[in-house]
Amino acid sequence: MSAVKVNAVSKEFSGHMALNEVSLEVPKKSIFGLLGPNGAGKTTLIRIINQISAPDSGSILLFGKKLKPEHVGLIGYLPEERGLYRKMKVGEQCLYLAQLKGMSKSEAKEKLNKWFDRLEISAWWDKKVEELSKGMAQKIQFVTTILHEPKLLILDEPFSGFDPINVEIIRSEILRLRNKGATVMLSTHNMESVEEMCDNIALIENAKVILNGSVNEVKNQFDPKCFNLRMTGNMISFTNALWTNFELVEKKSEGDNHQCVVRLLNGKTLNDLLGVSIPVVQIHEVEKVTPSMHDIFIESVARAKNREEMVEE
Amino acid sequence: MNKVGLIIKREYLTRVKKRSFIVMTFLGPVLFALFYSGAIFVGMSDSTDHNVLVADYSGIVSVQDSTTGKLYSRFPRRFESTPELTYNFVKTAEIKQQFKESPYTLLIELDDVALHDGKVKLYYKKVPSQLVLGRIEDEVENALEELRVVDSLNVSYADYKRMKVELSWYQVDINASTDEETHKSEQAMVGLGIALMIYVFIFLYGVQVMRGVIEEKTNRIVEVIVSSVKPFQLMMGKVIGIGMVGLTQFLLWVILCSIVSGLGSIFLAGSGEMTMAIVDGAAQAPESNQAMLQATEAFGFLMQIPWTTVIFSFIFYFIGGYLLYGALFAAIGAAVDSETDTQQFMLPVAMPLVFGMIISSFLIMNPDGAMADTFAIVPFTSPIVMMVKVAMGETGWLLVISMIVLILSFLGTIWVAGRIYKTGILMYGKKTTYREIWKWITYKS
Repeated sequence: MSAVKVNAVSKEFSGHMALNEVSLEVPKKSIFGLLGPNGAGKTTLIRIINQISAPDSGSILLFGKKLKPEHVGLIGYLPEERGLYRKMKVGEQCLYLAQLKGMSKSEAKEKLNKWFDRLEISAWWDKKVEELSKGMAQKIQFVTTILHEPKLLILDEPFSGFDPINVEIIRSEILRLRNKGATVMLSTHNMESVEEMCDNIALIENAKVILNGSVNEVKNQFDPKCFNLRMTGNMISFTNALWTNFELVEKKSEGDNHQCVVRLLNGKTLNDLLGVSIPVVQIHEVEKVTPSMHDIFIESVARAKNREEMVEE
Repeated sequence: MNKVGLIIKREYLTRVKKRSFIVMTFLGPVLFALFYSGAIFVGMSDSTDHNVLVADYSGIVSVQDSTTGKLYSRFPRRFESTPELTYNFVKTAEIKQQFKESPYTLLIELDDVALHDGKVKLYYKKVPSQLVLGRIEDEVENALEELRVVDSLNVSYADYKRMKVELSWYQVDINASTDEETHKSEQAMVGLGIALMIYVFIFLYGVQVMRGVIEEKTNRIVEVIVSSVKPFQLMMGKVIGIGMVGLTQFLLWVILCSIVSGLGSIFLAGSGEMTMAIVDGAAQAPESNQAMLQATEAFGFLMQIPWTTVIFSFIFYFIGGYLLYGALFAAIGAAVDSETDTQQFMLPVAMPLVFGMIISSFLIMNPDGAMADTFAIVPFTSPIVMMVKVAMGETGWLLVISMIVLILSFLGTIWVAGRIYKTGILMYGKKTTYREIWKWITYKS
């Protein structure tokens, strides 16, 4: 049973398809990256899971059950556009938001005290939000999102507006919550953090899921089958040895020292490559080239766009 | 329900705790009293002393003293000078040219035409106040009248006064159980006053609802809140919470005003003569008791107003009208990005309210007409129009129908407003049109 199961969900806004038969699954106790260019439909999907809006068709299962109004207490949602009541005091505001999520006042107060201590922000309790800096307000908002210990955390760009130190704090808090059993849905454009944190991803482009799976699977899918070799020897003999089964993608030479990126063709393996290389050059180091999430993102969006253009033509 | 309660509590407490609320609560009645007495003062008082020159060419109201040659009033106790108002007589023709440079402030020309037609020419340097004009008018009118009576009839002026008839109606409702005199138009005025309070309340707090919604929208906190509660709950919590703030303020005003007016009447009773002077300037120093009697008589109609029904209907239309308009104001707030964009949507909401006020003021002239009955049922005008009719004694089926229609329509309006609200609060950056709003209402959920 997954934490979230999205089943062929579609949503249309006055003639514009925001989601087109979107299906995906978020495994329990994992961090799931919801990726996609601006305007692809991520926020619409997130709002549907939060029951802020309803899908035109399709269904959503939350921990195996059909989405119901009572489920709002299970979810902690940090929207991309942050906001708090500016004139309200920090503590009062946190208590109010926690109570709206169904916590009792005393329970909320106790947990808030713990969190405020942890994040060293207890001094802000009686301050009005308008007196805080943007980063401080973001921290408060993060606390209000996770305070009721939601089983599902939906975080839209959680790192924006934070300095590197606070990014680290928030990152470790998210990981800690995952380790304690929470499921996290992370929507972000920060590909570095996707690589570091996410177990699974889905990439949405133009209302459709164009890529879905565990980070390793996705990376395999985009495996360029390239190896980075550091070697010394005669470069001409080496290129001749590659012949038609291998492609020299990149090379950097300093005298007799060479660094090459070679792609395997025609189903050849690393062993085959080494077989033809060893007789002609001295190999010092071999490393597999893995695609970055950044490249995967750009490439799959470009591919999806091409496909659409072809369909249109 | 619990969550709506939380929202109501927040909306109520944050507003009631605001300094501006506390200040307005105490300052409101004071400002009102100042404004009210100021308005009376400005209308009544005329700080300039008037020096009136009466050009009496043919000796209509004046005679010449044989020894001094000075002109004085022909009738004793008429044209008596006071510090603020002095009269002088002159017989010379062509006084008009000299008047400009003279120290006199007003010039009255009395000639045969004046005596015949009652049309008197008054020259002024600055327009005198109504109060001063009235006093001079009484003086001249009575003098001319006395002159006519004495000259052409063979009776004394006192006898004439006794004979003169002044008609007034003693209106009785044939369907009423007693033959008691009715004062429908005075009652309608009271109703109109109450309706005015409802009107001010709806406007004041309706706009607050709208501001609150815009604040939440521009703050972007609304997305966090609607991930915990339904948009409809948020909207209703806000409307109800702010309504309760209004009721609290209103109640405090009533209490404070009654304290202030209580203290005021104690103070005024101490200087009874002054009160009388204000109540009736023309009354020539009446006995206090008699004046009190007159006052009781004048306000006797208050006893005929069905207060229980009035208070009950007041609370009903107060709340019903506010809910009806409050939800609409919330919808406006949700449809726009900032307060400056509210203009185009405010008009259709404000129009029926203003219309209701205008209808009510005409209603006083024809309270039982078909038009009045119609607007007493139409929900957008009924809180105001029906209030006037209730004060006039309307308690029958019309009231029941009007109330039922109001309940049904505020339920309907809240539903429509809820749909606009739901979509509107998450829409940013797009200029909202009526077509767009229609789409929001008709979205299938």
